[in-house]
Amino acid sequence: MPQESKKELRIIGFLCNWCSYGGADTAGVSRFKQPTDLRIVRVPCSGRVDPLFVVRAFLSGADGVLVSGCHPRDCHYSDGNYYARRRLEMLKRLLPFFGIDDRRFHYTWVSASEGERWQRVVTEFTKVIHGLGPLKIEEGEEIG
Amino acid sequence: MVELKEKISEVFRDTNLVICWREGFDPIHATPHFVREESQIEDSIFNLFCVHNLCVYLPFLKEKAGILVKGCDSRTLIQFLQEGLIRREDVVIIGISCRGIIDVGKLMREVLYEAVTGVSIDGDSIKVKTVSREREFQLTSLLADKCKICRYPNPLIYDHLIGEPVESKVSWDMAYEDIREFEKKPLEDRLSFWTKEIGKCIRCYACRNACPLCICRDRCIAETRDPHFTSQSVELKEKFMFHFIHAVHLAGRCVECGECERACPVGIPVKMMKKKINLEMKELFDYETGINVDDKPPMYTFKAEEEKIKEHEL
Amino acid sequence: MERIGFLKKEKIEEYLQSLSKKGELYVPVDVGRAVKFEKYLTGSSICLDRPPTLPPKSVIYPQSERLFKFKFKKDEGNVDLIEIEEVEDTKKRIIFGARPCDSAGFSVIDNVFIQTDTPDVYYERRRMNSFIAAKACDKPSAGCFCIAVGGGPFDDSGSDALITELEEGYLIEAKTEKGSLFLDWELIEPGDDHLEKKLKKKEESERLLSEYLGELKKIEPLDPKTESFNDENFWKRHLSKCISCGLCTYLCPTCYCFNITDEKKIFEGERIRSWDSCMFFHFTLEASGHNPRPDKFKRFRNRVGHKFMFYPEKYSQLIACCGCGRCIRFCPVSVDIREVVFELQKPRRV
Repeated sequence: MPQESKKELRIIGFLCNWCSYGGADTAGVSRFKQPTDLRIVRVPCSGRVDPLFVVRAFLSGADGVLVSGCHPRDCHYSDGNYYARRRLEMLKRLLPFFGIDDRRFHYTWVSASEGERWQRVVTEFTKVIHGLGPLKIEEGEEIG
Repeated sequence: MVELKEKISEVFRDTNLVICWREGFDPIHATPHFVREESQIEDSIFNLFCVHNLCVYLPFLKEKAGILVKGCDSRTLIQFLQEGLIRREDVVIIGISCRGIIDVGKLMREVLYEAVTGVSIDGDSIKVKTVSREREFQLTSLLADKCKICRYPNPLIYDHLIGEPVESKVSWDMAYEDIREFEKKPLEDRLSFWTKEIGKCIRCYACRNACPLCICRDRCIAETRDPHFTSQSVELKEKFMFHFIHAVHLAGRCVECGECERACPVGIPVKMMKKKINLEMKELFDYETGINVDDKPPMYTFKAEEEKIKEHEL
Repeated sequence: MERIGFLKKEKIEEYLQSLSKKGELYVPVDVGRAVKFEKYLTGSSICLDRPPTLPPKSVIYPQSERLFKFKFKKDEGNVDLIEIEEVEDTKKRIIFGARPCDSAGFSVIDNVFIQTDTPDVYYERRRMNSFIAAKACDKPSAGCFCIAVGGGPFDDSGSDALITELEEGYLIEAKTEKGSLFLDWELIEPGDDHLEKKLKKKEESERLLSEYLGELKKIEPLDPKTESFNDENFWKRHLSKCISCGLCTYLCPTCYCFNITDEKKIFEGERIRSWDSCMFFHFTLEASGHNPRPDKFKRFRNRVGHKFMFYPEKYSQLIACCGCGRCIRFCPVSVDIREVVFELQKPRRV
């Protein structure tokens, strides 16, 4: 999808099918106003989100990445989000070591009924990313 | 040295294969030595140049083997056992208490890569003879960085032990001081540091293949076309991707043997990334890799209530 | 045509600056724990006192090279609606401070890419537009063995000019017509008076190297009938320690194997050619899933075979190895290819 206005930044969201994707849907159906920077990738479970998906997104030009799954104890597959929590926390702490601001990456839990919460998460996260501006990983001088 | 060969002979009678070291192409290079015949035992050595972590071969061996490990290497075995990568009954471990090894890369740089024809060690000094001259160094100045902050000079797991136990006075905080120091730099400096370092990468995958815990090897996602995780291009972002893959896949698994960094021909401080993750693992899960066979790597498990992971507010 | 000139040591900075105006100049630079060829920028400190970690191969034969860009105008996969943008590369490139073995490496690659009925335009274009000045080696480095494979520390094959470092300055000898580029400067003084000193240095350097090599002084191409070559146990005995990384091939000035891939993003993409390594599992992996070289022993055997048997067979007994020793010096487990070839040539043990 082309960027419609120059002001828009690229934010990628990985949403679990059972809760957060439903939550985003609820927000949409209820006509809650949301910023349009977010591009959603639906995944079966937050446990499916390899931390490397997030890294790949950043390296492919994303300015922010959001992962959202079912609340702890609520996972459709009973413990997928528990694994996700450990991995994503590890990644959140690793990113700044490489010089990528950890505020660019956020993970949270939104259930299918929490349309309003979803609206808040998206709005605030987008605001944070706009505050940080585009992510620049500069190319070094290549031989050849 | 007599003790070493005796121990190897003893183990060899039981296993028919012992992985140890012999002298390499010059006096400052040792090379892994697969003893499969009695006559090869004679060539085995242990000295300051025996830098390799021989455990790297174990998960792929389809036979019982004897193996020599230094203190740091022994943690690899424990990690293997935690992850079920080897069976305890398939290895006979000869542990060596170690006072540190030499950073051969550093030594080569010191003598400007001149061909070395002789080496003699006398107490704390080492004399290196190259084709054009002789130079003397303090041993401590050539010691590998990992040895200066070694907390496990004695093997943590072994069947036979060689050498007197060595005491280490290094604390956890001392071992991770470099990481804390690095993290004090501003974000932009950290990014430009890695841009410069990772920019040197030629993706020869020596760091990956020298890593005993990188067990995907031929199936590594850095190389497969499907999924297409990295492109063949040498752009910076692809190099970054590879190093992230390496670091993330070793989360809570890296035993800090430093083989990745030693293998790197262009001198990227690859181990730093892994040390950073280990530091977090300790903080989050009070877990240290390769210490206790019964531990479970933190990424292999979870708790319903995590004491240390708080919800992040926006 | 041989021309000789002399450059005073203190003038080197000025000289490089002038050279860099004639084309893209590459010099060996210390990048921290490694020496690498980089574009010359004013103030770059050139590092000539040790052999570069990476050969200048990538300047002429880049690790990944765009062959063309493509764009699907409408629907993906419809070949009629594809736009192709070719790469035009006519840049002049100058390499200053390679080693004689590095230049010799280019000669090996030339045979494959240029001296054939169907030359590779990408390589040929870059090679023809490149000027190489090699710095002769005073002393052997760890693992060096150029004289064993027909080269030498003062060999000029593949180079346009040869530089000898003397006490007061650099003696520069143009070896080809292109080599004049390195001499046509006011900074260059006549050099004939220094020739004798150079010859002395050459003798000394060759003596040091052959003393260092001992019995490994001469390596012959392998006979295709070499018995141990097909003996699995031979490779197991010598290569069990190999960790099958690609360091040896990526650091090699003569390795030229490549892979071509299309890197596509939705409607557009590029076709790139990038280095590949016979030490990797994926190098020979077939679409069916079958892999004719599934283990490191077969892969290493191929590497030795290619360099010392198949290539010499095809190109009049020329060994596809320039003896720079990088694969030995930097191998994480110190595999010594000289030793392997030497053992192969020994009469078989009973």
